[in-house]
Amino acid sequence: MAEGFDIDHLAKLARLSLTAEEKALYASQLNQILGHFQALADADLPATIDDARVVDESALRSDEPGPVLGAEAVTRIAPASRDGQISVPRVVDDES
Amino acid sequence: MSTSPSDWEVVIGLEVHVQLHTRAKVFASSPWGFGKEPNEQVDPVVLGLPGTLPVVNREAVEKSILFGLVVGAEIPERCAWDRKNYFYPDNPKNYQLTQKDFPIVVGGQVEIELPGASRNVMGEHKFIRIHHAHLEEDVGKLSHAGSGSLVDYNRAGVPLLEIVTEPDLRSSAEAEAFLRSLVAMLTQAGVADCDMEKGQLRCDCNVSVRRRGAEKLGTRTETKNLNSISSVRDTVIYETARQIRELEAGRSITQETRGWNAELARGYVLRDKEDAHDYRYFPDPDIPTLKISRQTVTRLAKQVPENLYDRQRRYVEKLGLPYTAASVLVNDRALAEWFELAVAAHPTNPSGIANLVANDLLRDLAASAGAAGSFDQAAPAPVSLASCPIKPAQLAGLVKLTDDGVISKQQAKEVFAEMFKSGQDAAAIVDAKGLRQNSDTGELEKIVQEVIADPAVAKSIAEYRAGNEKAINALKGPIMKRTQGKANPVLIDQLLRKFLA
Repeated sequence: MAEGFDIDHLAKLARLSLTAEEKALYASQLNQILGHFQALADADLPATIDDARVVDESALRSDEPGPVLGAEAVTRIAPASRDGQISVPRVVDDES
Repeated sequence: MSTSPSDWEVVIGLEVHVQLHTRAKVFASSPWGFGKEPNEQVDPVVLGLPGTLPVVNREAVEKSILFGLVVGAEIPERCAWDRKNYFYPDNPKNYQLTQKDFPIVVGGQVEIELPGASRNVMGEHKFIRIHHAHLEEDVGKLSHAGSGSLVDYNRAGVPLLEIVTEPDLRSSAEAEAFLRSLVAMLTQAGVADCDMEKGQLRCDCNVSVRRRGAEKLGTRTETKNLNSISSVRDTVIYETARQIRELEAGRSITQETRGWNAELARGYVLRDKEDAHDYRYFPDPDIPTLKISRQTVTRLAKQVPENLYDRQRRYVEKLGLPYTAASVLVNDRALAEWFELAVAAHPTNPSGIANLVANDLLRDLAASAGAAGSFDQAAPAPVSLASCPIKPAQLAGLVKLTDDGVISKQQAKEVFAEMFKSGQDAAAIVDAKGLRQNSDTGELEKIVQEVIADPAVAKSIAEYRAGNEKAINALKGPIMKRTQGKANPVLIDQLLRKFLA
């Protein structure tokens, strides 16, 4: 357990299987990154919302339908497909 | 110790997912619609392919704001989108774009009407508070085939407004009434079509029970993905009974996610997706915070239609409609507006018009539409007035002919049927069929005098002369009979009074 996070839990959420060496390496790197955020959090800044990331409604798109890829192109980039659909290992959330 | 169900109170909160009425998807220009071949409505933005960027659809934003205005909510100056991370094949990007901290709609309330003691009695009204509504993208559709699952991304990226209520609902009837009211408001404002057969409205239903009078809420369960109003009603009934049974047996309720099997009418525990609740939300770096101008809000406020219960109160209080007719009309905005056009053409008898519209017209429209049975009995589909052969002013004309005594109410039914068949004016049909009531005083006077002279009615005459006003009605039947129903009832009444005076 490093500061503020659990590397095993994060690896599981990200569907990554890590070796012990990798875990140590990434835990230390993540700690560095979090350290940078802590420096930002500690900085004495006015409590204003970042206006640089605010747009007005002119940034919206109009409701005009555009081109589509087509089922063939969509399924071609998937590892497996059947009948125009992408084929994945069975996932079940119905009554079982 | 055994307790009765009335010792318990059920507390229900709903999360209603509604597909907004737009042509393109919410962050991409791909079109969407029901019934297309799998994966034919997908573009690179929907799939989140490298190099693509989402851009928010203006119509989806405006429809969301319009919903907020319909329920009297606050439209915050700014809203923002977040990433909700999870791995599941229905989700092409491994995150869903949604709004967590800054939703587009905050607050508001929905007026509901509970069923009355009988069909012609209005039930209790209540207000259900809305916590917020956020604009997000729908996910793809999975189907299970043999050892694998198949994914269709047509639905991925469809604009979805998630409407979250406060836990204000207290029974399955209230949940049902809320959804019916919400659907009416959404469709009447043109925000969404809410076609449940097409999955355009889906519900997550949070249920808990507590001892009546207790303040603390019980542990709740969430039943996900209910696709009809009746499923929500049945889930509430089922889950309430199950939780009371568990608690009375001394067991506790587990906070869990559940599914509903509509065919078997029973709930079940969903296999818990591991760590599914750790969504690691963070602000989406691709979509900037959106500032919504007050001009836009003001402009959209003008599109808010009259609330259906305000309309119902106006019909009953100002137009004098019976509740039964008013409640039928207000559920369908097009029908209500059709009715109002007819009233404008003949303003003196709104009830007469309402009865014809709510009974005869609706019945014949449904029959001519092939009487398509509604998928959800709790939410009958509105009829189409586009193909209605009768125009509002023509119906007004029919009611006026009846009011003026030109034809009887019985004849009006016959004329109505003919109008529905041919689209002709009532007056033309009345003339063609020779239905105009006999107003020839000379001929009628003779018949009236003959009837009065008949000893069979002597008793009624004596009663009338003794002051019993109603006794005069007994004389009208024989007169009508002798004129084959064509005599003008107003004239008969006048003549009888004249001769008996």
